Amino acid sequence: MRSALATILRGSGLGAVAFVVFGPITNLALWAFAVQWYFPYKLPVVWGFKYWYEVFKPRSDAWESLSTSVLIALFTVAACLVLAVPAGYAIARGRLPWRGGILLAFLLPQAIPSIAVYFNVARIFYGVGLNGTIAGVVLVHTVHGLVFAVWIAAAAFAAVDRELELAARNVGASALRSFLTVTLPLAAPGIMASVIFVFLESLDEFTGTYFVGVPDVTTLPLLMFTASVAGNYQIAAITALILLVPSVGFMLFIERFLKADVLAKVGG
Amino acid sequence: MRRSLLLSAAIALSAVLAASPGHAQRKVTLNVVTAGDQNMVDYVKDYLAPIFEKDHPDVTVKSVGTGPGDAGSQKIYEKLVAEKGNAEWDIDVAVIHQKAAGQMVSEGLLAAYVNDVATGKLVHSPAASNSLGANVAGYVIPMFNSQTAIAYNSQLVKDPPGTYADLVKWVDANPKKFGYNGIKGGMSGVSFVVGWIYAYTPDAEKLMKGPYDPNLKGTWDAAWSSLKAFNEKVVLTPGNAGTLDMLGRGEIEMGPVWVDMFYTWQADGKLPPSVKLKLIGPGMPGQPMYYTVPAKAANKKLAEQFIELATSPKVQADGIVKRFNWYPGIDATEVKSQLDDATWNKLFVDVTPQDLQTKGKTFPITPYFNDILEGYEKKVQ
Amino acid sequence: MRESRLAMFLLVLPALAVVLALFVYPLAMSAVSSVTDKAGATTLDNFAKAWELYREDVIFTLLIVAVSTAFIGALSAGIGGYLVLGESRRAIAALRWLYRWPLFIPFIVAAQCMRTFLAKNGLMNNAFDTLGLIDVQNAVGFLDWRGIIVTFVWKQTPFVALIVAGAMASLDRSTIEAARNLGASRIRILLEIVLPQVSSAMIVGLTLSFVTMLSVLSVPIMISGGAPTMITVDMAFRINSYSDYGVANALGLISYAMTAIAAWAYLRSNAAKRGMA
Repeated sequence: MRSALATILRGSGLGAVAFVVFGPITNLALWAFAVQWYFPYKLPVVWGFKYWYEVFKPRSDAWESLSTSVLIALFTVAACLVLAVPAGYAIARGRLPWRGGILLAFLLPQAIPSIAVYFNVARIFYGVGLNGTIAGVVLVHTVHGLVFAVWIAAAAFAAVDRELELAARNVGASALRSFLTVTLPLAAPGIMASVIFVFLESLDEFTGTYFVGVPDVTTLPLLMFTASVAGNYQIAAITALILLVPSVGFMLFIERFLKADVLAKVGG
Repeated sequence: MRRSLLLSAAIALSAVLAASPGHAQRKVTLNVVTAGDQNMVDYVKDYLAPIFEKDHPDVTVKSVGTGPGDAGSQKIYEKLVAEKGNAEWDIDVAVIHQKAAGQMVSEGLLAAYVNDVATGKLVHSPAASNSLGANVAGYVIPMFNSQTAIAYNSQLVKDPPGTYADLVKWVDANPKKFGYNGIKGGMSGVSFVVGWIYAYTPDAEKLMKGPYDPNLKGTWDAAWSSLKAFNEKVVLTPGNAGTLDMLGRGEIEMGPVWVDMFYTWQADGKLPPSVKLKLIGPGMPGQPMYYTVPAKAANKKLAEQFIELATSPKVQADGIVKRFNWYPGIDATEVKSQLDDATWNKLFVDVTPQDLQTKGKTFPITPYFNDILEGYEKKVQ
Repeated sequence: MRESRLAMFLLVLPALAVVLALFVYPLAMSAVSSVTDKAGATTLDNFAKAWELYREDVIFTLLIVAVSTAFIGALSAGIGGYLVLGESRRAIAALRWLYRWPLFIPFIVAAQCMRTFLAKNGLMNNAFDTLGLIDVQNAVGFLDWRGIIVTFVWKQTPFVALIVAGAMASLDRSTIEAARNLGASRIRILLEIVLPQVSSAMIVGLTLSFVTMLSVLSVPIMISGGAPTMITVDMAFRINSYSDYGVANALGLISYAMTAIAAWAYLRSNAAKRGMA
């Protein structure tokens, strides 16, 4: 009797979560196939693929923009990892001078809405020839990604028990070796979570891309931005659905890798 | 394990690199950057570009949008300022709003190209030389003219108000059925507010033509307090698109919109066919979008040829009027002769040419414009 | 055996240099305009004007973001807690699959979804109307401050939950099991055993999401048309309507000051923990 009640409660709880999560997304899916939808109709009046054709028509550069977006996001992830892992470790472990100030500095790019900043970055990049290059856009995205990468990496390293590291050092492992074999694997789950955020942040970014990339480098979020702000719901919905594919794919890829890692440790 | 991640990442990267085309282009790329809705970007991409590329086989036209409204133009302005020091700029044709045009001309960011373009002679509207009080003659040709008007659902509103005074009465009788987007969410709301000032202060002509008198704004208090009372009985919508959005869902019955945006929304099936337009008296502002060439555009000659095509009577007739139902940028007489009467008259189903002549206003000159916006911020919000 | 301060600083340096060169330096280039007037003299006029015109919006922004952060914290604790303490494996798997989706929806699209979902005649009210729960004619819309909070919470809860759930998953389960054997309720275990141990992950997640919400323009501009509004909208308005970078930057610095307060919470909790260790 009690368990039946629990099942019902559990089911309705999950149902409520599903409604909250998928309600707004359903809207997205409906708009992607709505050719006509207006008052007083509660659902689209005419359905179809009209706007899918719009997005993927022969003259459109949706595919190219999509692959550019994914490429930039992957490079951004790589750059953030290279920079954030040592930085996060130092923040978590070391007796770092101005530790608070340094952490605050990494928050800046996410905290200040930054059109004025991009404008100056573009000015610098035009001077050194980085404007209109993939590298330039990756750099701009990296600055934003570092907020997540450094903060989360620092928390992940801080959560690793210091004693384990010291034990490895005591049996003769070098500092680098004990870091690579003990500390890094233990902090990996947290770092991987941050990598997902870096990837998503890059994949959704459009203001920096505009100032530094356009017109030579164009990404899919630029199209999504124009469409969304102007209320071209169908185009915006379709672009967002397309962007779901690399986003979810990347996360599954990361999780698969993580699981393999964890299993290897258990087995070995 | 880490190595295997790096390895697979590298493989993924090279796969993407190999898949992305467009590395080995030897063609010239003409960059057209548009501040405006997606449909304007698409108009360049789908309609103008193929025609232009047919005549210029070695040219690829690239069309990029920066978002609608003054914010979009501001982004073009900022990008040009950022690359001011370079010898060649990466934008060849910029489509911008009035506010940015004046500023960009005065800061030397635009080229005076109109005399080099044959179609420059086909434009005689005041908007081609005067942009919110700034002299832009020689630097701009209008792409199309747009106008704000009141959209209303004709099924719910049988007898739409014809003036601001009527509208106030209608709103008294129908609270929360009229919506507009304030002044921070886009120009259709700004336009409604400017129209309010034109209606309820005595110096509308002076606001549009100048000269600037900094004391004038002190005489608007009555207009602001009546607008504040009016705002109590209306819905404030989120943005230009927000007003159309609420009309489309039937949450409001009336609201100010851009005529060009209105037709796009209706064509996209997001507004009921029963929603119609009315230009109310004494008048509401409109403004053109301008074709411009940045001063150091890398492909200046091609840019001029592109604009020449885009402002030719045939393209204005087929592209601007027939496809989008927009008011042409060049002189109407030049365009009308290219079209049959039925197509031409479709432009004026709701808003007649006479309405446009008497009630289609311009925006005020820039200093007054700023006074109006700041007055609203201080006294109405 | 203690790593030298210099070595540690060298490890941070590359990342720090990137942020300094590509954000702080360009920011300083324009932030100067917030404290100088047209003639180039130092002035606080821009801050005075920002405060005079947008005081209410500053407070509104702080309230919106603080309330959203509170909801996000509670919900992500709940999600993370159920994932570690839940009894039905199937329900856990379902929740794990469910909760993350909003993470993949960009803010601007989330705003669009919510605009058409939460509106008076939006999908939500229409769905309830069809089910016979409400009458849509008398329904209310949520496109105001409530809509902004709902959108923020919807979009940011999975972000924090992902971080928190990760930290919870790596906890030592023996204390949890011991408490359970003693008959402690799950709520109590969550509040008294699990949450204290993941508090630093929770605070990192909340700080990052606090900061993110402060800087989002699309949500307030697309959801709520009325006044007061959020600082980002005012900043965009100053720039687009008046080309006034001075007041816009002053607002940006005010926004950063709020961030610094949030970050201070984190640093303090961190310092407290170090004191214990």
